[in-house]
Amino acid sequence: MTEAMEMMIPGICGMGLHLKLDGFRLVYTVIAVIMWGVSGAFSKQYMAHYEKRSRYYLFFWATFAATVGVFLSADLYTTFIFFEIMSFTSYVWVAFDEKPESLRAAETYLAVAVIGGMVMLMGLFLLGDVLGTLDMDRIGVEAGRVLAGETALSDGEAIHVAGGFASAKAQLYTAGLLMLFGFGAKAGCFPLHIWLPKAHPVAPAPASALLSGILTKAGVFGIIIISCVMFTSDGSWGLLIALLGLVTMFLGALLAVFSVNLKRTLACSSVSQIGFITTGIGMSCLLSWAGEGNLLAVRGAFLHMVNHSLIKLVLFLCAGAVFMNLHQLELNDIRGFGRKKPALCFSFLMGALGIGGIPLWNGYVSKTLLHEGIVEYAKLLAEEGAMLAEEASGISPALVNILTSHGFWKGAEWVFLFTGGMTVAYMLKLFVALFVDRHPERQAEFDEMSSKYMTPLSRVSLVGGAVILPVLGMLPYLTMNRIADMGQEFFRGSGHLHEVNYFAFANLKGGLISIAIGAALYAGVIRTLLMEPESGAAGAQGRKRYVNRWPAWLDLENLVYRPILQVALPGVCGAVFGFIDQYLISTLLTIFFAVSSVACRAMDHLTDGLVVLARRTVCSQLPEPKSHPEGNWLAHVIGSFVDRWARIKNRLFGEKDTGRVRVSAVHHLIEREKRFKHMGDLVEQSFSFGLMLFCIGLCLTLGYLLFVYYGGVLFG
Amino acid sequence: MEGNMMLLLPMVCPILAGIVVLAGKVFRKNRKYLISLSVAVLALELALTLQALVSGGSLTMLRLTEQITLGLHIDQVSRLFAALTAAVWLLVGIYSVAYMSHEEEEHRFFGYYLIVAGVLMGLNFSANLITLYVFYELMTLTSLPLVLHERSREAVRAGLKYLFYSVAGAFLALFGIFFLAGVSENLTFTAGGVLNDGALAGKEGLLLASAFCMIVGFGTKAGMFPLHGWLPTAHPVAPASASAVLSGLITKAGVLAIIRVVYYIIGPDRLRGTWVQNAWILLTLLTVFMGSMLAYKEPVLKKRLAYSTVSQVSYVLFGLSLLNQTAFVGALSHVVFHSVIKHALFLTAGAVIVTTGWTRVEQMRGLGQVMPKTLACYTIAALALVGIPPASGFVSKWYLASGALSSGAGVWSWVGPAVLLVSALLTAGYLLPLTIQGFFPGHDFKGEEIQKRKLTGKEPSWWMLAPIGILAAAALLFGCFPGNLISMLQSIAASVL
Repeated sequence: MTEAMEMMIPGICGMGLHLKLDGFRLVYTVIAVIMWGVSGAFSKQYMAHYEKRSRYYLFFWATFAATVGVFLSADLYTTFIFFEIMSFTSYVWVAFDEKPESLRAAETYLAVAVIGGMVMLMGLFLLGDVLGTLDMDRIGVEAGRVLAGETALSDGEAIHVAGGFASAKAQLYTAGLLMLFGFGAKAGCFPLHIWLPKAHPVAPAPASALLSGILTKAGVFGIIIISCVMFTSDGSWGLLIALLGLVTMFLGALLAVFSVNLKRTLACSSVSQIGFITTGIGMSCLLSWAGEGNLLAVRGAFLHMVNHSLIKLVLFLCAGAVFMNLHQLELNDIRGFGRKKPALCFSFLMGALGIGGIPLWNGYVSKTLLHEGIVEYAKLLAEEGAMLAEEASGISPALVNILTSHGFWKGAEWVFLFTGGMTVAYMLKLFVALFVDRHPERQAEFDEMSSKYMTPLSRVSLVGGAVILPVLGMLPYLTMNRIADMGQEFFRGSGHLHEVNYFAFANLKGGLISIAIGAALYAGVIRTLLMEPESGAAGAQGRKRYVNRWPAWLDLENLVYRPILQVALPGVCGAVFGFIDQYLISTLLTIFFAVSSVACRAMDHLTDGLVVLARRTVCSQLPEPKSHPEGNWLAHVIGSFVDRWARIKNRLFGEKDTGRVRVSAVHHLIEREKRFKHMGDLVEQSFSFGLMLFCIGLCLTLGYLLFVYYGGVLFG
Repeated sequence: MEGNMMLLLPMVCPILAGIVVLAGKVFRKNRKYLISLSVAVLALELALTLQALVSGGSLTMLRLTEQITLGLHIDQVSRLFAALTAAVWLLVGIYSVAYMSHEEEEHRFFGYYLIVAGVLMGLNFSANLITLYVFYELMTLTSLPLVLHERSREAVRAGLKYLFYSVAGAFLALFGIFFLAGVSENLTFTAGGVLNDGALAGKEGLLLASAFCMIVGFGTKAGMFPLHGWLPTAHPVAPASASAVLSGLITKAGVLAIIRVVYYIIGPDRLRGTWVQNAWILLTLLTVFMGSMLAYKEPVLKKRLAYSTVSQVSYVLFGLSLLNQTAFVGALSHVVFHSVIKHALFLTAGAVIVTTGWTRVEQMRGLGQVMPKTLACYTIAALALVGIPPASGFVSKWYLASGALSSGAGVWSWVGPAVLLVSALLTAGYLLPLTIQGFFPGHDFKGEEIQKRKLTGKEPSWWMLAPIGILAAAALLFGCFPGNLISMLQSIAASVL
């Protein structure tokens, strides 16, 4: 590789695509081709019994194009475009077989992809705004200026700060964090690793191999760009990445140790290995912050990426070979399947030794370099820690304390070694389960399959992939050093590389410690605490079976994701991780939806409501004038009294069915009164009435006259 | 009448044809005549519009007073809107040929459909605010029968609600027109504004108030909170073709009116940094979030799409409210993209209704077995609306967000993009389940109903499928190759800002 090839395609999607082919990108393009080639060949047998194969192949190759696009991209705009295409086309893999658990896993996968994509896009907006460019060759320089507190970009234009941000630096960090969220989600970094253990067991095995081996690396690619290219020597950023890496590494391995499902173990192992890589990236930032050459960490991280891709390809295809024959993945069901199957055994062994970091296999080389990176930083702190702490500027004292604490990084080294040990332990668990144990009932049936469990094409592709691993590991100077030379420039590796003698005792020591821890863990934890004697006759022979020690009381919703933890350990860690997995995100989402949907509904009806309110109050129609009640008050009082009495009577004694419609007594009385009045009127108007009145008057007059006359006589 | 008479043709031709269709008995009886005439006129309309756009120029139709004239004029903005309208109108017309065969009183639908086309063209070509207002009101009235078409109780009520909201909005705007007429020489659209500084002295407060009234008033048609209520009511009851154009193009008439008022009459500089701009941004962002939130909660597909329109048209208004070149480009490109995408989505919803009678999303499980091609088109359009690259929605979102960040609108500059992305997330949440359940119904899905009714592989006819396919392809290709469109929009943006 002499010089980089570049390609610009202006106008696509508005801003144009910018692709580039240089050392790192070349390596990863070649790896992509190898991986898709091998798993494509393997798919032929694996997919033979599925319907809708054309759908699988369409999205298989579409994802290939998009993934290569991500790795070739030379500006973040292009990266984002291909990244999104990749996320959506690979969705089809996860949902492919349409089982309920696949659909649920696919839902998680899509949610993580969409949310991650959108958050990343927001980061890109902010980044493009503050740096004025998204070109990978320029963001390092411009970010350096922003971090140094300068006010103008390299082209002389003033640095623009979006409203609401305290400074350009704050905006840059925000952008970095948002992008880290997006890329980290794809890479499977804690706490966004949730999709990995769900998606892998349900996807077809060749697809899992790619998901785990190379799609996660697209996320790592982004983390490299942010960390190594943009925040090249930023102490606090390096600390964040290194811590994330350590947590991811440890958590993933812990989950893998407790898992009893072949593909799930491999998926958790992927999470853990991504943690190793991330730690390396973080260390390279820290080393260059401390003013030291960071080549060790850089080469370690890069080689571990390459190794992990190749190893996971082999391991997942082995799992695929198991699954396409048995359609099962639980360790208890597949025990002993690998016996008398040398090709499968060889391939799996190569992968297991590689990932376990056993000397002479490829994983050992990269892990040694990563380990050396941490050791070098810790040694540096022991010598000049105090000086570094004094010189550190622009970082809060608490962070400086962690950054320069020798003990902390010594601890990190031990976390690293212990995780390496767990890696050995879980790979040993898988290997023993598959190739050493015997299945209590079906062993004979398994042995019969030995001749026809793989087609020649699958066999060749699997073994071919596996052979690469020891070749890389046994000839590290010839192969891996050269690969590292090609890639380190992309990571902005700096400083002088002192030749690492991989097989010197000082370097072997770390690997050997890990192996010892692994053996101890396997014997002390897995064989005793995570297994129980088989019931019945098999148990009497000392056979054991694998048990899932996950506390059953947390097994709600058929547990989509199992943070595996032993009951013996007080369930603190388990509860915390389980809570994060199960409840934290979904509860927040539920609350958010409940509150905002109520508020939005209220807003939705606001105008209508105001109109209705106005109609009822200010703009309401006047009531029609009430007609004057008929009858006098006495009729009303008596009538309603009678009515009420009648109602009470009816209720007490039951109503007699008289066949008539009951008329209200009020009405009745009023009618009576009206008739009475009417009669009176008639009488009043009649002539005889006049005559009668006249007569009465006459009589009264006569009476009066008599009274006056006789009255005088009588009382004199 | 002075000027280029060719400008009249795209307006008059469909209106006359529409009247003929409504009046002629032969079109009521013979479906073939009706369809051939309608499609022919729509095709002719497209040709006439393109011809008018190429020839350009202006035309004064009527002088009411010395100041008030009715006139047409072609500039870049009218080119954009008119070309979009004519092309999409033809596609939806072709779709309606098959769709409306399931409805009664086809001649009435096609008659008004043609008339609205002419009126919209007049709106797009308007040379001044008075003409715009006249055509705006005409558009409300002539599009009402499209909503009322089914004449059911709900349809009539929805129609009345549509009318009430539109008229209320137009009156708010009318207040502004009265005020603006007083402080300007004439109301001819001129990039950068026509207001007279001398006449305006001392009336700045009133100017801002009337600007706000006009934005809210014309925003009614664009579905901006608080006067968005007609959209979710009117869409589910109207025939799918009518919902499509209501949502995709008639809402854009509101956008056009706001562009004309803010950028061609008042002038963006007078609004920048004022309370009007802040209130406007706030309203658009509220609408964006509210629309997509409610769409997310909505089970009826057409209503869900209507809420989606509420949210998406406010993306456009958000871009306009920033008064910034890049955001302006984003806004206008979103006019085109949203229109194309939303037509594809509504036409799909209509195709589902015609073929299966399903209206609710949960009924549509396994839709991929019934109409895989249609659903694939739907998926492309949906991804474009979410803004997944390389489909078109992504491009407009990119311009909107980077415009917002560089607009200097204070804290809005990053709150805006954040709201847009949350809304994009919700958009994925309400559009993609149809695809997912359609193509991946799950193992336990037996599809009894599909088998019983013999729906398997029953795609809608080509009359319906072809327009959907063309629109979906456009939604994708506009995103991949937006170069010419963007450079045209940039020249518009440079002229007004």
